[in-house]
Amino acid sequence: MSRLSFILRRLIRAFVTILFAVTVTFLLLRLMPGDPALAIASPNMTDEARALLLTQYGLDKPLFVQFGLYLGQVFQGNFGTSFTQSRPVLDVLLQRLPWTLLLTFTALTLTVIVGIPLGVLAASRRGKLLDKIVQVIGVTGQSLFVPSIGVLLLYVFGLMLGWFPIGGAYSTGTYGLDWYASVATHLVLPAVSLMLIQLGSYVLTMRATLIDALEEDYVTLAKANGLPKRRILWKHAMRNALLPTTTLIGLQLGFLVGGAVLTETVFAYPGIGRGIYEAVTQLDFPVLQGAFLLLAITVVVANMVTDIIYGFLDPRVKTS
Amino acid sequence: MTSAVDPAAPSAEPVASENERAGVATWRAFRSEPLGPISAGILLGLVFVALAAPLLAPYPASYGSDVLKAPSLQYPFGTDSLGRDLLGEIIWGTQQSLLVAVAASVIAIAIGTVMAVIGAFFRRVDSFISIIVDLTLSLPVLPLMILVAALAGPSTATIIAVIAAFSWPEVTRLVRSQALTVVDLPYVDAARLMTTSSAWIIGRHIIPAVTPVIIVSVVVTASRAVLAAAGLAFLGLGDPTTWSWGRILYEAQQSGAMSSAWWLTLFPSIAILLLVLSATLLSIAYNDASNPRNRSR
Repeated sequence: MSRLSFILRRLIRAFVTILFAVTVTFLLLRLMPGDPALAIASPNMTDEARALLLTQYGLDKPLFVQFGLYLGQVFQGNFGTSFTQSRPVLDVLLQRLPWTLLLTFTALTLTVIVGIPLGVLAASRRGKLLDKIVQVIGVTGQSLFVPSIGVLLLYVFGLMLGWFPIGGAYSTGTYGLDWYASVATHLVLPAVSLMLIQLGSYVLTMRATLIDALEEDYVTLAKANGLPKRRILWKHAMRNALLPTTTLIGLQLGFLVGGAVLTETVFAYPGIGRGIYEAVTQLDFPVLQGAFLLLAITVVVANMVTDIIYGFLDPRVKTS
Repeated sequence: MTSAVDPAAPSAEPVASENERAGVATWRAFRSEPLGPISAGILLGLVFVALAAPLLAPYPASYGSDVLKAPSLQYPFGTDSLGRDLLGEIIWGTQQSLLVAVAASVIAIAIGTVMAVIGAFFRRVDSFISIIVDLTLSLPVLPLMILVAALAGPSTATIIAVIAAFSWPEVTRLVRSQALTVVDLPYVDAARLMTTSSAWIIGRHIIPAVTPVIIVSVVVTASRAVLAAAGLAFLGLGDPTTWSWGRILYEAQQSGAMSSAWWLTLFPSIAILLLVLSATLLSIAYNDASNPRNRSR
């Protein structure tokens, strides 16, 4: 398979996934028990305004036609108008998206930087005390509720020790370098919370695959050749164990985004997640549906990009 | 379960005793490690608290004058911003959390298993089912659950339905891979020669073979359901008429007491962690115990 067709297939797959997300959203909005117009028309509107809006959105037409119209609107970037802010949903969300991207990307990077070496250490000392501690951390990490860990960090490092700011994404009234510094300090606690809930799966996957890799013939051969243990572990075995861990990133992206929604709520971080929380309290359905679609598109595109990069890094993917 | 003429009657005996022997060995291995029984004990304790809630504490509904009191002898877990006893809220919240976890995971397991087995057995629909599963798993599920729960209006039934509706693909993925290996085994081919009833083969041979995977995924799905339900309630999408651990956290956040009254977040957080962690450890212990390769060690 050539590189071009490999990329093309990934593109088609991403497109189909996005189409699926849009279809699911449409079906949910229209087939839910209750008023189908609820999702676009505020209950506070006058009857005429409401009727006008329904015709405008084609809600008086058959379901099939409605779906076509909906698809057309979504792919033009028209996600409706926010009830509470009277602005296009896309504008509201695009303003928030960079913060969510910054938070999730930082958390993911931290998870990989901390998680992979921890997994390697555990696997190399299999059955020893360190391995057991790492396993306990891994299993406990997977059982954590993000808001719990967020509030704990907020309480200890924000309120008691005062090391980090307790909410928001930057300090108002700062400019230039100071502003970037304030963004960085505001990012620490939410990113660490998000890292802690992710860490478990990465550590445990890395540990398990590395233990398998260490039993492979090529490792025995390397040992027989008298290569230093350290070199075998970090250069030979880890390289192969990294592959399943990389695919984990794709599998965990959706979960990561869900965690970000809760984390942003705890830290009043101005990303899409906090926007979802505010939209829930105000029953702003267009924002909720737009937020899901935008997050879904982000996850799918990020997944596709990692897949393609992965395909270039791993020579086996191209031939299979 | 089947008609009077049971084509597999001769084979039924050895299969049953084989299962029994495996069961006994699993149980013995399970008891020999402390982790499994301890987790099971904690879970049973939580089930007891949930069932005995009316005996343990009055339903925390009336507002009190002791607002935001730190834990004391009178209020072991302190009080919330409306002067209600936090211990009572946690106890009643146990009921709700367990109910949602059990109901949502049972529904998700039922749908997920049926989909997996149908997919593995009837290859024609398999690609369709696995595409749906793959697509759902690659989407951010929590924002989707939030959208649906907000549209349907917060109630216990909504929360259970929403969590179940988006949890079954994970079950299908787990069970399907196991079912696919079973479907190709010779004894299933033999069964195909004996009967034309696919339902019978699925019920008699395939479901029993995937049962260990199902048991593990019940626990995993249930503990994820606890986290999902807590997450929805934390965002204000919980049932406003019943207490849940997520609702305690939501109200603490709403009243602005989250950062000053540490007990309001600490105790529900411990409750969530206890339930999810013991469920996870139980599934790990069961997994280790049921694997014959681990037993010899």
